[in-house]
Amino acid sequence: MKAILEIRGIALIRLQNIHKEYNGKPALIDVNLHIGLGEFAFLVGPSGAGKSTLMRLLYREESPTRGTVTIGGVNITRLSRSQVPLLRRRLGIVFQDFKLLPRQTVFDNVAYVLRALGVDEIDVRRRVSSALAIVSLEDKDNEFPENLSGGEQQRVGIARAIVNGPPVLLADEPTGNLDPQTSLEIVQLLDRISQRGTTVLISTHDQPIVDAMRKRVISLKNGQVISDVNSGIYEMEALR
Amino acid sequence: MRNIRIFLRVLRETTIGLKRSGWSNWLVISILAVALTIFGGVLQTTMAIKGVVSSWGSQLEISAYLKDGFDPQKVARNVSQLPDVQLVEIVPKEVAWAEMQTNYKVAALNNPLPNTLHIKLANVQAVEKTADKLKTFSSIEHIRFPLKVARNLNKVRQFLEIAGFVITGALSAATLVVIGNTIHLVIQSRQREIEILSLTGVSPWYIKGPLILQGASYGMGAALIASAFLFGLHAYMDPYIHEQLLSFLPMNSTGLDAGLLPTLVVVLTLGVAVGAGGSAWTSGRFIKI
Ligand SMILES: Nc1ncnc2c1ncn2[C@@H]1O[C@H](COP(=O)(O)OP(=O)(O)OP(=O)(O)O)[C@@H](O)[C@H]1O
Ligand SMILES: [Mg+2]
Repeated sequence: MKAILEIRGIALIRLQNIHKEYNGKPALIDVNLHIGLGEFAFLVGPSGAGKSTLMRLLYREESPTRGTVTIGGVNITRLSRSQVPLLRRRLGIVFQDFKLLPRQTVFDNVAYVLRALGVDEIDVRRRVSSALAIVSLEDKDNEFPENLSGGEQQRVGIARAIVNGPPVLLADEPTGNLDPQTSLEIVQLLDRISQRGTTVLISTHDQPIVDAMRKRVISLKNGQVISDVNSGIYEMEALR
Repeated sequence: MRNIRIFLRVLRETTIGLKRSGWSNWLVISILAVALTIFGGVLQTTMAIKGVVSSWGSQLEISAYLKDGFDPQKVARNVSQLPDVQLVEIVPKEVAWAEMQTNYKVAALNNPLPNTLHIKLANVQAVEKTADKLKTFSSIEHIRFPLKVARNLNKVRQFLEIAGFVITGALSAATLVVIGNTIHLVIQSRQREIEILSLTGVSPWYIKGPLILQGASYGMGAALIASAFLFGLHAYMDPYIHEQLLSFLPMNSTGLDAGLLPTLVVVLTLGVAVGAGGSAWTSGRFIKI
């Protein structure tokens, strides 16, 4: 699993001939994708296009029906069940519904994984503080999630995703529950994080944000990649 | 260091889980305690009987009760001619009667007791052979030997053992269901939390560990309560059994003092095993990571 960190210079994320079926119904059809180290990409497409399915393949919540997914040169479709947590610790995952622990403070939410790994408390404090500083939530560390706005909750989610310094950050509709202004701030935050060397993949159907960012845009429709352009915009026509 | 920190964290999660379970903790513990007490009681009784049986089984002695009007001395001389007989002790009925009167303050009746011979033998194999020969003596009314009593007690013990196994099996199954349900409720109430932890790469053992320890603490708590019961029962029953019951039996009963400690160790082990096993099984079923 160390390989996820060590391999450089080739595509960090590689999907080859990916087919995914649910009960015989295709959700992804022959998907081939390379996403390089430190790259920032949007995954766009209408509802039911297969965005979440593709994301779930990357963090091994699902396995492809056919094809291989490699991250950092490691074929993650071959991981055993006990290796899946190791993979997920190397990925930061951000969710549409934030998925924060309601009975834990902001600090404890971000610290949870580190503590579960037995990191000593001084180190935990240092790393959590620096993650909270990146998302500008240093002064909210003692709050409970329910007392935060949606945008703040998502920033806690992002802090948790980056606290262990993952090379890859996956975000499935991270702005789906946020207003336009907050959405833009969250995506700009993710962009800043990618500029520190993290590979970022964001799924969204938020056209204004995609258009504003001018990043790589991978378009999915009916389970197929129909376009993949650098500095692109949300191609409404093609996707219709 | 790292593993110690993880272990302490798991312990902390366990206490949080126990606190959240509230009153249902006590429900589980009392049911498990009843099951373990019954199990321990059966175990203790069968062990005690086993001890008695083996001590009696090795007593190479036959008691022969003589018909009235036969001379004990003469009969004793005849008996001592038999092979394997090592020693014949005569207990005249007057002696036995006097002893009984002082011991039990029996009213002054006519002496109902027979003359008795205690016949010591060389080896176990000889007991039944000799007993058969003694039965042919016209002077002997009735014989009694520990081996036979031991056989009968052994049957009682076997019955108890089987009954004990069945009862323990049924109670363990019931307990597993209760523990399983409790842990299942905990898992359901923490469903979202478990999903989040799993998605963020927390290892399954860190998630399941507190649940398994929660089950183990139920077993431990119940075993301690059951042990207290068994200890009290033992302290109360033991003198009673010695003074009242065994003094009427014809042979000495040193084997009865089966210690309580082995039973308590078994009860504790079983309690913890059922508790931890039940919740491990439930977590395995309902936490798929
Ligand atoms: N667990 C599942 N079981 C069966 N079918 C599923 C499952 N998950 C997704 N699908 C199907 O796969 C297809 C792709 O779904 P997916 O959730 O990946 O789309 P999406 O692009 O994320 O859509 P949205 O924008 O609405 O989130 C859909 O037809 C969906 O019905
Ligand atoms: Mg989706």
